[in-house]
Amino acid sequence: MAPTAKQHPQGYAAAAPATGARPNILIVDDRKENLLATEKVLRPLDAVILKAISGNEALSLMLRHRFAVVLLDVQMPEMDGFETAMLMQEHESMHGVPIIFVTAISKEERYATQAAEIGAVDYIFKPINAEILKSKVKVYLDIYVQREQILKLNSTLQQSNEELERFAYICSHDMQEPVRMINSYASMLDEQYGAILDENGRKYLRFMTGNALHMRKMILDILAFSRVGREEIRLEKVDSNQIAKEILAEFETVVAQKKAEIIFDLLPELETSPTLIRVLFQNLIGNALKFQNGVSPPEIRIRAQTSEGFWQFSVRDNGIGISPDFHGKVFTIFQRLHRREEYPGTGIGLSTCKKFIELCGGEIWFESKLGKGTEFFFTLPEEAKRTL
Amino acid sequence: MTLPFEILLVEDNEGDVEMVRRSLRAVTPACNLSVAIDGTEALDYLLKRSNFQNVVRPHLILLDLNMPRMSGKEALTLIKSDERVKTIPVVVFTSSNAPSDIRECYAHHANCYVVKPFDSGEFKSAIGEIVNFWRNLAVLPHEAAKP
Repeated sequence: MAPTAKQHPQGYAAAAPATGARPNILIVDDRKENLLATEKVLRPLDAVILKAISGNEALSLMLRHRFAVVLLDVQMPEMDGFETAMLMQEHESMHGVPIIFVTAISKEERYATQAAEIGAVDYIFKPINAEILKSKVKVYLDIYVQREQILKLNSTLQQSNEELERFAYICSHDMQEPVRMINSYASMLDEQYGAILDENGRKYLRFMTGNALHMRKMILDILAFSRVGREEIRLEKVDSNQIAKEILAEFETVVAQKKAEIIFDLLPELETSPTLIRVLFQNLIGNALKFQNGVSPPEIRIRAQTSEGFWQFSVRDNGIGISPDFHGKVFTIFQRLHRREEYPGTGIGLSTCKKFIELCGGEIWFESKLGKGTEFFFTLPEEAKRTL
Repeated sequence: MTLPFEILLVEDNEGDVEMVRRSLRAVTPACNLSVAIDGTEALDYLLKRSNFQNVVRPHLILLDLNMPRMSGKEALTLIKSDERVKTIPVVVFTSSNAPSDIRECYAHHANCYVVKPFDSGEFKSAIGEIVNFWRNLAVLPHEAAKP
């Protein structure tokens, strides 16, 4: 951000929009002398003051400027302050802009209520106390300037996030080719010249192919992670029971090998992204099968129940569990809790799950007891949000 | 005697050129493989420009996407919009499995899209199957011209 603080001793300038433009205040009053008096009071504030002599003039200024705060005289000929305010509120640039009514009318309840209904945040009674007016306006200016600052920071953050993701995507996408080449040539070397290498030479080739395979898995996982949010999320009627069956079929070999028992209730049909359900089951069932002590056969239970407009799914295992020390790290990307030799993985799966499910309006969490097992829960809205 | 099946491989990576060459050795009858190292050279070859005045028109183009100078997608667009060469089948053969690449290539009239298999054995059989399909199973326009 540009160091603008020096140019604007009042202090809020540091937060002014990037252009260095000061916030605008609009004063509307049908009497010129009132306009000048109010302007004089507000002049010490670090803001540009615009004046309108009628409701119509105020509306036409509104079309050309954005305001931090509007001071609106209630009693004006033709269009009064309430009417002006109502018309103003319809305009997009005025959404959330505080309007302060200035009125000579006594503190009648009726006016206060009407003003509140229109969305005015405040009012000031005539005769105006200069100090009160100035400090009130200053509060709204400060809020405006802070909000602008936050919006700007947000957009900067969002931009750098997007750049990072694009970088990760392009990087991993382009790394697919060299890693395939390393793997292919190492295995071709083994096939064609393996016979003339000694045991060490063949071992080195195995290290090469083993690591190339691992790198490929990482690249594919990073790609899957960064595709979430890049690709449009398709929402449709999804039979989660059918998807669970398909995923179980993919794990058939491991299930047989580990003599695992997987039980699931009849899982529901819901409106969501089929890819999301696949990603969740693949990772959660995969993890439940993987993180086992290797002694007792894996027992996995998948359930779903509905409450308050959400489906809550759970995947429970009797595996090694997660130490409470690591509970905060489970969903962090690239975070692995074990050596690759013990439990292979890239540390990307669960962060992909979390990113994806949050985009679809759901949540994911877990409960775990070390040595006893882990249960992962996730929720999804029964009716997909159309705002995606 | 039938003329050999002519393939133009558009590929900048020598490692991949060698893999394709090696894979084709297992294919009978033998094919003729020509290589263009990028899109620009591929277009020169197809339109018989500069050093390529006397080359034979290929029956099949194997096109990589990620290349310097002119990318595979640009080359594909130019090939498919040129009356002289647009009927030659183009098989996009690439490391990319990005949904956007797949969609765009078909939108630009690629005849098919094949992701280069990671495993060298599968790579070899993929090449075999592609050649087998386009040479033996598919009927190409130049054959229709025969009496």
